[in-house]
Parts: sequence; C-alpha cells; structure tokens
Amino acid sequence: MTKPCFGIKESKMENLAKLKKLVEDVFLLQTGEFRTDLRRDEVETWDSFGVVSLAVGIQETFGYHLSPAEAVGIKSVADIISLLSAKGIKFDH
Amino acid sequence: MTILLETEVQREIQRLHRAWEDNPTFALVPEKSGVKNEWIEKGLALLPDELKNGHFVLLTSGTTGAPKLIVGQRQRSEKLAAVLHQAQESEPVQETILALPLSYSYAFVNQWLWSHCHQRALKLTPGLSDPAEMRRALQQARNAMLCLVGVQVPLLAAYFKDETFPGIMRVHFAGGRFPQENLPLVRALFPEAAIFNNYGCAEALPRLTLRKAEEADQASDVGRPLPGIELSTNDANELLFRSPYGAVGIVEDDKFNAITSEAWVKSGDLAQPTEQGTWRLLGRANEIFKRHGEKISLATLMTTVTSIWTGHAVFYREQDSSGENGHVLVLAPAPAPGQLQEILLSFRRHHGRAHWPLRIEGVAALPLLPNGKPDVSGAAAMNDKTLLWHQRI
Repeated sequence: MTKPCFGIKESKMENLAKLKKLVEDVFLLQTGEFRTDLRRDEVETWDSFGVVSLAVGIQETFGYHLSPAEAVGIKSVADIISLLSAKGIKFDH
Repeated sequence: MTILLETEVQREIQRLHRAWEDNPTFALVPEKSGVKNEWIEKGLALLPDELKNGHFVLLTSGTTGAPKLIVGQRQRSEKLAAVLHQAQESEPVQETILALPLSYSYAFVNQWLWSHCHQRALKLTPGLSDPAEMRRALQQARNAMLCLVGVQVPLLAAYFKDETFPGIMRVHFAGGRFPQENLPLVRALFPEAAIFNNYGCAEALPRLTLRKAEEADQASDVGRPLPGIELSTNDANELLFRSPYGAVGIVEDDKFNAITSEAWVKSGDLAQPTEQGTWRLLGRANEIFKRHGEKISLATLMTTVTSIWTGHAVFYREQDSSGENGHVLVLAPAPAPGQLQEILLSFRRHHGRAHWPLRIEGVAALPLLPNGKPDVSGAAAMNDKTLLWHQRI
C-alpha cells in the first residue's frame, strides 16, 4: 500500500497553497512559475489531458466535481479561483 | 540535410511543401522527442549517398524502444497515398482536418501527403488541446476527412456532447486500439462519415491494413492488407510485412540498415490470420506500449530519468483508472524534493504528458534479482512505498 508523503501537512494548507501545489503538480511547473493570473496559453502542459487531470485534482483537493463545460472553460488560475469561490471555497490572495 | 521542426512546419506549412518538392532528403521531427538534435544529425550523416536525395526521414521509438530514424522514399510514399485514396474511397473528400502531430507517420502520409498529392486542403488545428478551435474546424468542415487515435474519443464525447458534425465524411482511426465499443458515439458525432480502422507501424510508413468499422465486431480485427502489401507471421506469432511503400532504411544503434524490397519486417505486434482473410492482433511483441495513441518507450524514459538521477530507478507497468496502459517510476532511495522536481521538469522538457509516469514512488532500496538486476515485479508489489507524485487521471 502506498502512503501519501505529505498527508498531514496538506490538511493544514490554506486553499491558495493547496491550489498552488495542485497546479504545480498537474502541469509540472517550475519554482516561481505559479501565479494567480497564470493563463492556460502560457503553459504548454495545460493540454487536453491536463484539463482532465486538473478536474480530477480539484475533485480530490477541494471536493468539487467540475462539469466538462466548466473544465474546458477554465483559461487561467484566476478562473479556477473564481469558480471555486462561487461554490463557497474561499481564497485569500 | 534539412531538419524541419514540427512547430516550424505548423506555422508555415509551405516549408514542408518546398522540402518535399526540393531534391535533398529532409527530416521532420517533433521538438519534444526526448532525443537530442546531435543524435539526429549524427544519424542523418549515416545515410548512404543514394538516400541523400529524394527521401524523407521521420523519428520513432521503433519496436525496440531505442530511437530510430525511419527513411522513406518519396515516390513509394506517393504511391501509397494513391493506394489509400482508392482504398479509403477518398475521391469525394475535399479537405482533411489535422488533429494529430504532423510528424506522426500516420498523419504525415494519411493527411499531409495525401492532401499534397491530390490537391486537397489541409486544415491545421491545435487538436483537442483547444476544443473551441477544434469545434470551429469541425463545424466549418465540408466533405472532410478526420484522422484520430482511439483515445481521443472520450475527449470528443466530453467536449462535444450532443453536437454533430455532418461535414465530416471520413473518420480514420490508427495508432492504438480501435474504439469498437464507442462506435455509436463516433457515429452520433459524425453522422455522415464512413469510419475506418487502419493498422500499420512507422516502419511501414505507415499503413498495412484497412477495414471499414462495420466489417468486424472486434477491435483487434485490423482487416485486410492494402493492395501490394504482404503479411505473414513467424513461429512466435510475430507479425511480419513486406511492403512496396515501406521504409527503405532505418538508423538505429549508430548504424544504418537498408530494408530491401524482399525483406520481411517485424511490425512489433503479435497477430494471426482469421478464416475470413483478415488479421487479428494479439498484443505487443515487447515492452513498448501505446498510451493515448502514443508509443511509449520505457528505455527512452529511463534515459531521461538517469540524466538527472544517480540513484536506482525502475519502471513497472500498470493501467490507469480508464484502463489505458501506463507506467510507474520507482526511485531508490527516495529523492529529496529538489531532485524530484528536477526529474519532473525533465519529463516536462522532453516528453508529452502521455509519456509521464502515472506515479513516482520512493523506496529505501529496490529488491534485486539473483543476477543483481532490479526486480520489477518485486518493486511493483512492495507495500512500503512512499507516493512522491502522481498524475490525477
């Protein structure tokens, strides 16, 4: 059985920090590449399967299931924050 | 000899047209191949003089896992484009929409070369990485041919649910398992299209067989050989082919090997003929496998890992949640966070997402076989591994 490496730490993360780790993990960002205004067209790994991976990650991390239309409609990190904020998940940034 | 990068050609397709019409042999390669430019240049330098004009070169991982340069003769490939035009009933087709990388031999011959030889339009798109642009191209299509790989079907379903694209009159699948079970979905999306299962390999440049979707009910049935192509198997059920359109040479392991017209070439699959005269695939002949329609070479990926990581590393195979083939990387000892990030960034730099492992796991030490080599099955079965990173898919 594989055990999560960061389980306890992750539970204490703020939502923005959780989102940062998720986006970095899904798109394999370099240190310093994450920004809240980062756009899809700036990241070559934000491809069609990346969209699917991001949707799964949002479900895992925030418990919100994106519809296909919502997943495809996300064009930036700011869009993710707006979408999740509208569902009651708050971000301080 | 000119090396054309795929992104350059996508920006200016005329470069490819000119390269094809000019005499010198040229190579078309993707930018993220995991293979260094120096290797490609060195390989091209090995071509004999008689292949330095009138030919073209594509890069593939081949059936052994190591990178290969596949050398095609332009006249032979133009003949194949003509054969495909007849076999695929393409005369009414007026344009083809590119949804795959142009350096794939399937897209290169079935789409670019066919459109070039038959004066049809080639519509370049970013593929399903930009669903809105793809939708626009499909909506604007008129009497068009679309070439896909099976793994794109779930994405088409997600992006274009309840939409129809009647301008598509031919849909071709290759490069992986034919989506037999999803044909109703494909037909709903493309109600006017004839649907074809294509089979081939890079060494065939690229087609060997063809069947209409409705001619069989098993995805593994790849149909009959195209006119002029012979298929056979050896005692181990390895599928062999002899094609007047196939590659004339291959550069691998720092050597050029000519392929003569009489040579039987392995396709990389196991297969057997059916009583109906078609061919049924039995599986891959080695550890090279396809994921999301792309040929994955664990040997090439290990080169990427070991260029960064000096510890022990091993891959084991696993299917993801959708049943697609995948692979897991185990590192020993577990790397520091900075080392892990370097490995991940190296995957990003050199390989598309399909090539990334499903997970990266860390262990204190790898189990070893009596001969001292890492025990892959043992690594897969270990129960005290640490999850370092995973693809969410």
